[in-house]
Amino acid sequence: MNNYVIRTNGLTKSYRGRAAVDGLNLEIKKGEIYGFLGPNGAGKTTTIRMLLGLIRPTKGTVEILGKDLQKDKINILRRVGSLVEYPSYYGHLTAIENLEAIRRILNVPKSRIDEVLEIVSLTKEAKRAVKGYSLGMKQRLGIASALLGSPELLILDEPTNGLDPSGIHEIRELIKRMPQEHGITVLVSSHLLGEVEQMAGTVGIIREGRMVFQDTIVNLRQKAAGGINISLSEPESALWLAKDNGLAGMVQDGKLYFDGINDNQVAGLVKRLVENGHLIYRVEERNKSLEDIFMEVIGEVKSL
Amino acid sequence: MNTFLRVLSSERLKMSKSHLWLLALVSPALALLVGILTKIEPDMPAYPLLLSTMCLFHSLLFLPILTGVYSSFICRYEHVGGGWKALLALPVSRTSVFFAKFLIVAVMLIFTQLLFLGSYVGAAVYHGVSEPFPWAMITRSIIGGWVACLPLAALQLGVSLRWVSFAAPLVVNVIFTVPNILVVNSDKIRPYYPWAQPIQAMMPPNTAASGPLGMNLPFESLMITVVGSFILFLAAGLVYFNRQEI
Repeated sequence: MNNYVIRTNGLTKSYRGRAAVDGLNLEIKKGEIYGFLGPNGAGKTTTIRMLLGLIRPTKGTVEILGKDLQKDKINILRRVGSLVEYPSYYGHLTAIENLEAIRRILNVPKSRIDEVLEIVSLTKEAKRAVKGYSLGMKQRLGIASALLGSPELLILDEPTNGLDPSGIHEIRELIKRMPQEHGITVLVSSHLLGEVEQMAGTVGIIREGRMVFQDTIVNLRQKAAGGINISLSEPESALWLAKDNGLAGMVQDGKLYFDGINDNQVAGLVKRLVENGHLIYRVEERNKSLEDIFMEVIGEVKSL
Repeated sequence: MNTFLRVLSSERLKMSKSHLWLLALVSPALALLVGILTKIEPDMPAYPLLLSTMCLFHSLLFLPILTGVYSSFICRYEHVGGGWKALLALPVSRTSVFFAKFLIVAVMLIFTQLLFLGSYVGAAVYHGVSEPFPWAMITRSIIGGWVACLPLAALQLGVSLRWVSFAAPLVVNVIFTVPNILVVNSDKIRPYYPWAQPIQAMMPPNTAASGPLGMNLPFESLMITVVGSFILFLAAGLVYFNRQEI
């Protein structure tokens, strides 16, 4: 036994010779929230489909909760709750009936239905037909269904897709509670870094089917630490002054940009610029987008 | 087996509020109307005559089409919004899902056949037929018609699983059902044409009363063809569904 809840080894899925997922080694530890990041079409959903046994890998193995997925699929799925892409529901049935349809398959006590409705705060709406629900409510019902079997692992594919800010907030808070209150390990995928970084402890970034980064969020933040933008009256001559101060910057859109400089350096530079009669309009931090980080990470991979 | 029963119970719940059963009323109701309008000559055996007229539309057109409707309908909720992914990520085997869905279709078909039986009895009562009730003939017709629908049900279920669509398999089914009108005239093709098997099983045996559509192929040989194609379609659908990428 090891303490990995999910571990894949060289997981690959090819469609007509083109690898949608290529040699993926996912490692997800017990009790953490793992953010699975990547732009649309990077292979996140394909990977999740393989983790749930919905499609067969072309190559590689999947180990979930210490067991081989190929051999022990049904036993593993009993301990996993999932929500893939869109919440699936039977619109003509109420929330309770929807959950009952799943409960019958999972063979858990009826009381679980009330419990999961309580967790996602749908108790009041439980007797309404689901087709009248808002997207956020449907998404919460989806999570309720995923929780019904008291899973040890929760796999959520883009759970906040298409939700409004308050809906996103609700789902995020819900996910954060899972490891703390229920001891559940969570794999949550997203194409937005900002969304995942507020809940995940570890992130894996996938691009064109390959894992380009897999580490803690703290380490990712260091990579993502942005530079400083200074907008001022005469950027060109200011750039020379900066160089004189030992700072290599560049001019972008009429602003100075410096990558990875610390507070002291910023203070020294601003002082020098003011003393030389520059008018400083704005000094701002520029955070890198996920795409910037991708480029950076990929650059590193290539230069290795 | 346990998983199968649990999946079945879940499927039953999903279908229970769908009002699908209302559709099952249509064909038997029409058959009743046809039965009432049938003119019974005093010198003809009334029961076979009634059966052949009432069967005509029911088993030539409605029954094959309904078989397709049931098969499509049972997959309909899964086609919407990633339902297959949600269902098959639960601890179920695909085989048990397939058989559960098939069994629901089979039960809907026998329900339709029993309603037809009700219409038949109703028409006979309306005409005040005095002959003894032909249990052997009618049992064979009702059960035989049901069994003859099963290969088609397996085929249509396979098609419905293949195409993530409610309407497409239905359209295909209707396209293949319409030629029944011609196919039943060909002794060579009709036993092997899945859409024409129900009418051959339901029509009364070849007597003067059954008219030009009386089938001269023995019931037993027809059933062998039916069972053979049933096993073929069921196995193909099952193998396909187990390999399908969801």
